[in-house]
Amino acid sequence: MEWANDGKSRGGVLAHLERLEIEVNRSRKNLEDLQRAQAVESALGTKIHKLRCLRDELRAEVKQRQARVKASTVNVEPDQTPEISEQEVAERRKENVKAILQAYRFTGLSGKLTSRGVCVCISTAFEGNLLDSYFIDLVIQKPLRIHHHSIPVFIPLEEISAKYLQTNIQHFLFCLCEYLNAYAGRKYQADRLQSDFAAFLAGPLRRNSLCNLLSFTYKVEPRGQSFPFCARLLYKDLTTALPTDVTVTYQGTDALSSSWEEQRASHENLFFSKPLHQVFTSFARKGEKLDMSLVS
Amino acid sequence: MDAQLAEVRALEAEIAALRRACEEPRAAGEDSWRAQKSLREIFFSDSEGWASSKDLRSHLGHFFSELRFLSTLTGISIRNYSFFLEDLTNTEKKEKSIMKVLQRHRLSGNCRMITFQLEFQILEIQNKESLSSVITDLNIIMEPTEYSELSDFVSRAEERRDLLMFFRSLHFFVEWCEYRKRTFEHFKEKYPAAVHLPEGAASSCMAVRSTCQPGFELVIVWRVQIDEEGKVLPKLDLLPKAPQQALKLDQNRALETAPLSFRALLGTLGIEAALESLIQSLCTADYN
Repeated sequence: MEWANDGKSRGGVLAHLERLEIEVNRSRKNLEDLQRAQAVESALGTKIHKLRCLRDELRAEVKQRQARVKASTVNVEPDQTPEISEQEVAERRKENVKAILQAYRFTGLSGKLTSRGVCVCISTAFEGNLLDSYFIDLVIQKPLRIHHHSIPVFIPLEEISAKYLQTNIQHFLFCLCEYLNAYAGRKYQADRLQSDFAAFLAGPLRRNSLCNLLSFTYKVEPRGQSFPFCARLLYKDLTTALPTDVTVTYQGTDALSSSWEEQRASHENLFFSKPLHQVFTSFARKGEKLDMSLVS
Repeated sequence: MDAQLAEVRALEAEIAALRRACEEPRAAGEDSWRAQKSLREIFFSDSEGWASSKDLRSHLGHFFSELRFLSTLTGISIRNYSFFLEDLTNTEKKEKSIMKVLQRHRLSGNCRMITFQLEFQILEIQNKESLSSVITDLNIIMEPTEYSELSDFVSRAEERRDLLMFFRSLHFFVEWCEYRKRTFEHFKEKYPAAVHLPEGAASSCMAVRSTCQPGFELVIVWRVQIDEEGKVLPKLDLLPKAPQQALKLDQNRALETAPLSFRALLGTLGIEAALESLIQSLCTADYN
């Protein structure tokens, strides 16, 4: 499905990228040093922040004392006093900018500049659950090319890059984002069905690696003996996490009464409109009621 | 993790040294010199936060380049961000192998003319098999609030705690609004007599009048909608206005079918060309 923004030119971004190439070449050595030194984000962040605040306070205090003894001391290097405050300011700005760069992952796209170009990180999520991230390392040359990436092989990366990579990087990345998020959402639903509702399934959930074709045999009450329904879900549109084709068939040993038929039809509708694991959550909740209505 | 631990140790060591420096008696001569020396040693040591000024400035420049790149790419400029953590690990025996951390994030910035402020919470649960991260709360404040289409979208995003969709849709929504504004301004400039923007170029309607037939008016309403899944789509409608007498003469029901025909025109020519042809068809009468 086309991302609906009418394909306007993105000359600004490409021109911007060319300027970046020049900047990057100039500071290549510093970049490499920096990359080695970059710390991974962790829960120690808070502690470090607190310690830094304490340290800053103490520095200020020491600076004051230094100023006081300056006049009467040998071996004082006058440059050091302004050095401290300049460093403090630069340090603080650096911390602020680094934090903001980390925060970009919440927009879905983040990344960093590399000696070759740029390494973009695509984050995925489904219904508030933060899922896997994928990266794609781009080399800024004419033509633009992909150095390496962690995109799964069943995502149509070649197709998407053939369409957009050379003309519109933003569109290329947003499109990839769409495919990856939809895949992550489908996978999440299938995983949850398998782990949380195993009692409702007869045998394993059959699924492909793209998680766009699922089939399983199931029942609606946890206590029932038979598994009367068989469902097949097909997600033809790879940019969505809800199926495009649903077939539910009745496999039970009872004669197909109208109540079974009603259930079968309503299940089909449910699978079309709600995420897979939520459909089973509603089965689990209605379990009691269905029990009574089946006596017909 | 190791780097962070090292930094904690370095910070603690420095704090200890700074404390010692503060406690030293205020005397000229040797004592003060010793205090100075320990500070100098710290300043020129190798740990990460202690790069010399020059390195720091070039690192800062690099970070700013990254920021510019990301804000151009995503369309979102993040101005401020902070977070803190709360350890919720239950120390009771049966839940000991499960670690729970609540992260509280606060971030603010803008997407062109729209500024936003977000506060959200992420609950991280680490047990033997896996690590899960779930957004448990999301609060969004946006200004300006005159884009009424946005308030529904914001409530939906908050309800679903869909942070990623919020940013993605916001970006496209703003792009469409800006494109609409540019398009309206373009037509106003090209056909100043015929085209009127009763609510300004940033609004959702443009009126086209024929100068020699003042009773006729075609109002184009162009809304930018965000659907349930967060997809941003333009929706254009044509509202023709004509005097009563004209309606009576309209035997082919051209005015009634105009909105539908306009939709078809949009599908074939696209927005700009469809608007252009609409304006021209009304104006050719003027130039004949």
